[in-house]
Amino acid sequence: MGIALLGAALAAFMAGIGSAVGIGIAGRSATGVLSEKPERYGQLFLQVVLPGTQGFYGFVIAFLAMGKIYSFTTLDISNALAIFASCLPVAFAGMLSAIHQGKTCAAGILMTAKRPEMAVKAGVLYAAMVEVYAVLGFLISLLIQMKIEAA
Amino acid sequence: MATVQQAVIDFHRYPPIGTDDWRYGFATGKIRCLETTMLSRATLLDLANAESFSAAMDLLSSTEYSAGGAVESFAQIEELLLQRRHELRTLFIALMQDPELVELLRARHDFANMRLAIRRVVTDRPIGLDYSDFGSVPAEEFEEAFEQENYSRFPMYLQEAIEEAVLAYYENKDIRSVDYAIDRCEAKYRIRTSEELGSVFLLSFYRVRIDLTNIRTLLRLKAAERDERDLFLPGGFVEIERLVHGLDLGYEGLAPLFFATPYYEVVEGGVAYFTTEQSFLRLERLCEEYLFGFLRTTRSITAGPQPIIAYLLLKENEIRMVRMLLSAKNNGMDAKLILDRLGE
Repeated sequence: MGIALLGAALAAFMAGIGSAVGIGIAGRSATGVLSEKPERYGQLFLQVVLPGTQGFYGFVIAFLAMGKIYSFTTLDISNALAIFASCLPVAFAGMLSAIHQGKTCAAGILMTAKRPEMAVKAGVLYAAMVEVYAVLGFLISLLIQMKIEAA
Repeated sequence: MATVQQAVIDFHRYPPIGTDDWRYGFATGKIRCLETTMLSRATLLDLANAESFSAAMDLLSSTEYSAGGAVESFAQIEELLLQRRHELRTLFIALMQDPELVELLRARHDFANMRLAIRRVVTDRPIGLDYSDFGSVPAEEFEEAFEQENYSRFPMYLQEAIEEAVLAYYENKDIRSVDYAIDRCEAKYRIRTSEELGSVFLLSFYRVRIDLTNIRTLLRLKAAERDERDLFLPGGFVEIERLVHGLDLGYEGLAPLFFATPYYEVVEGGVAYFTTEQSFLRLERLCEEYLFGFLRTTRSITAGPQPIIAYLLLKENEIRMVRMLLSAKNNGMDAKLILDRLGE
């Protein structure tokens, strides 16, 4: 059971770290812009919170993994490893994509400072491209967990 | 000093500026906003073409250079610009997270102050009090230190420069020797410190400045038909041998000499203008444009000290330009002359 719980912890922990770092990066850039142009708050808000989604994906997978773990009366090593493996895609894809998304958002925020009309076209959309890979990680984690049958 | 000795130019237009430093996220965001308030080239041209001083002031009414009412004397404008420059430098210090980089940038004021003080000392003029207050050494200390000949309160790099400048002067009693010695010490200090701090951007910036100074020196030496070959500063991207070789060539051979360097357009345009107009104006303008073009490459940095340093230097230049334009307008200078200075 320990290895399965470790997987759940990693999913929440790594994706959460990635989101925290990503939001930190984007947030610093946004506060710099807002210190001069507070009226841009609405345009920048989405770009600051976008890297936060990975943390939620990790949390959801960790939550589902724990539900799966406790649905077994006796969890053998093969199922424990399967649960552990199911948590890895969201853990790694979540952490790395959140950090890079934070950097992309920071660049988008700086562009919004100069070209506010490009906030969504480039700022948000480019960041959403990075999000795709976090979503793929989340989906794979989810699909693997759905294939694990409780005994 | 491996980087300094390397003369191979492995970049196309501008040298490398380093990578992101995410500690500067806030500062870079703030600077990007402030960049939008900088005067455009079109505004500067409008200022140059303004009918009168008051018309020029009207053009600036919606900018940070607005006097906020009738201007009674040009001293009021001078005061306003000094205030803007002071605010800029205060902001720069507040935004920079690396005090060592701030010190390196402030050193240019120390060297300028020292140059002024030494020139006054060796020509037996009063030391005075009119020094830049942005250096690491307080301006008021210069007078006292030079009067007492006690330089121990200065940083080591300034002490070395004082020694070399005074020695150079007493060798041939030529006031220009003071400038050459200080230029050499300053260049050496900048390159050495940039390397020690690991600042790719400042290292490139100072090496470009050395190259541009050497190119100016080359053309001025040729124009004055002087044959000194030891006046070029070491540490740039362009080898000193190439510059010395330039002294032996005719004006038509200078541009091809720099063909394989990023300074080809600078030299070609500067030499062409000089040979027809006998003026260095175009060369100065092209050197300035190249340097500012390099500073503008910091736009690709999302977070780092590079955009902040670039903003400081570009904004200082803007304040200088505004002062020059308003002063020219105040003195009724012809628009064509002003445009010539602007490189139009």
